[in-house]
Amino acid sequence: MNHFNVLVKKEFVQSVREFKIIWLPLVFIFLGITQPVVSYYLPLILKALGGGQGITIDPNMAAQKGGEVLASTLGSQFDQLGVMIIIVSMMGIIQSDKANGMLAFILTRPVTVISYISGKIISNYLFIACSVALGYLVSYAYTSLLFTAVNFIDLLVALLFYLVWILFIVSFTTMISTIFNSQGIIALISIVFLLACRIMVGLSPVIDNINPASMSKHAMELLIVGKTSMDVIWSLLAAFIFTALTIFITNAWISKKKFHSE
Amino acid sequence: MKLEIKNVTKKFKNKIAVNNFSMEVESGECVGLIGPNGAGKSTLIKMISDIIDPSIGEVLLDGKKISKLKKEIGYLPQYPNFFHWMTAKETLTFMGQLSGIKKEELTRAIPEIMSKVGLKGEENSKVRTFSGGMKQRLGIAQALLHKPSLIVMDEPVSALDPIGRREVLNIIKEIKKETTILLSTHILGDAEEICERFVVIKNGEKIEDTTMGELLNKNSKNKINVDITAQSHDWIEVIKGLNYVKNVDVVGNTVKIEVDNIKSNKNMLLTNALEHNVDLNRFEIANDTLEEIFLKLVVEK
Repeated sequence: MNHFNVLVKKEFVQSVREFKIIWLPLVFIFLGITQPVVSYYLPLILKALGGGQGITIDPNMAAQKGGEVLASTLGSQFDQLGVMIIIVSMMGIIQSDKANGMLAFILTRPVTVISYISGKIISNYLFIACSVALGYLVSYAYTSLLFTAVNFIDLLVALLFYLVWILFIVSFTTMISTIFNSQGIIALISIVFLLACRIMVGLSPVIDNINPASMSKHAMELLIVGKTSMDVIWSLLAAFIFTALTIFITNAWISKKKFHSE
Repeated sequence: MKLEIKNVTKKFKNKIAVNNFSMEVESGECVGLIGPNGAGKSTLIKMISDIIDPSIGEVLLDGKKISKLKKEIGYLPQYPNFFHWMTAKETLTFMGQLSGIKKEELTRAIPEIMSKVGLKGEENSKVRTFSGGMKQRLGIAQALLHKPSLIVMDEPVSALDPIGRREVLNIIKEIKKETTILLSTHILGDAEEICERFVVIKNGEKIEDTTMGELLNKNSKNKINVDITAQSHDWIEVIKGLNYVKNVDVVGNTVKIEVDNIKSNKNMLLTNALEHNVDLNRFEIANDTLEEIFLKLVVEK
């Protein structure tokens, strides 16, 4: 366990030195603010810029509830730009260690592969989860200021659901970063695959049950409706199984020493 | 710690990098692994330090699999590349902790090892500001830190300028007293300076396992070079008549004499020269230079 601590500590020091600890939370805070602020001021903006010709703002349009706005923060901001930024921020997680030989170097020490991988995934996940949570809470603050408040328990449970999806994003990107050697390819594959997962949500209930991305849908449902279907258990299970699978593949890949390009 | 490499073969997709290679290194020995670029030195070194697995065969340390004894090995890669955002001290702390050294011990050992490799005063400089030689020295410090019983170095001096080379060679000579060393190089002169024993590798195969002395003896050709002044040239006719002289070549004032047996004939020849009052400038046994021997070994065989 000692090695694990050393590796986790190294990851944190690295994110401080590379200023990741500042910009990633800032990005998510920005994304969190965008949705409530834009939703609130959009009618005003349209009115001011549209010149009033041919555009009618329906005065009877139902006022959005806080939960809906917060749900679209997850669905429209975090799940699109947010996911891409997470992927880009960690596409080199293993790849850069492979490229400069540090992976091989670290493994000449009595370090197990699993403590290396878990050190990477847990430290990066904790950091990204904190950034997402921060953005989410800021979004909540704006939402309750500009719209209505959201039930606090629902708020927390929805966040936890969403963070399960984030866990899969992190472990999947780690796996891709282990297998491929070019950052561009890693980013491309991860973004296409994970966004495709997200887009497929809602197409069929069967796919939803095995799609980790449907955790995001369950979080949104909880925020909008205030309750969740029992299907969440299946999605939860699927998300954990797929996360475990990606970690397993990563571990096998490194243990079999396939990361050498020669 | 005895290192045994048993019938190791490493195949990559379309080429065999190391072919049925075996050798043993006894405790305290210093072995130079010599070969041209692409001979399979790095691949072999990587198999010894458990970075890649051999396709066939095994590497044992004291009879045990090398992967179980990583603590006993110090590894210096060809181009040591550390996290450039770390300071030298942090790098050593990081690598030391991964080797399982306690914090208290590290605070004591790191300044000691830094001054040993000549990086005193650079503890808090970032690795990205380091020159190639400094990185190499940091790499050596890292390899020594956990007091391994076997140090494996991949081309420790090849990428350095003459000054850096000298410094690193001196450090290696120093640590040689305490540990078993296996180093690879394509420069025979460097290996000669540090190691007693050489293993020459070519196309992944061991073609020679010898010592410096043996290597020189084997390649000397019973030739003696004598430099004489112009007025003593009469003596050349005299030696042509000697029964143990096989051939005489004159190039300017240098007389190249081939004899039957260098050991017994060299003093006879010298005595003969003195008897004839030859004005001698130089009298030497003509050896091939190390460079020539190396080329011969690697190109011919």
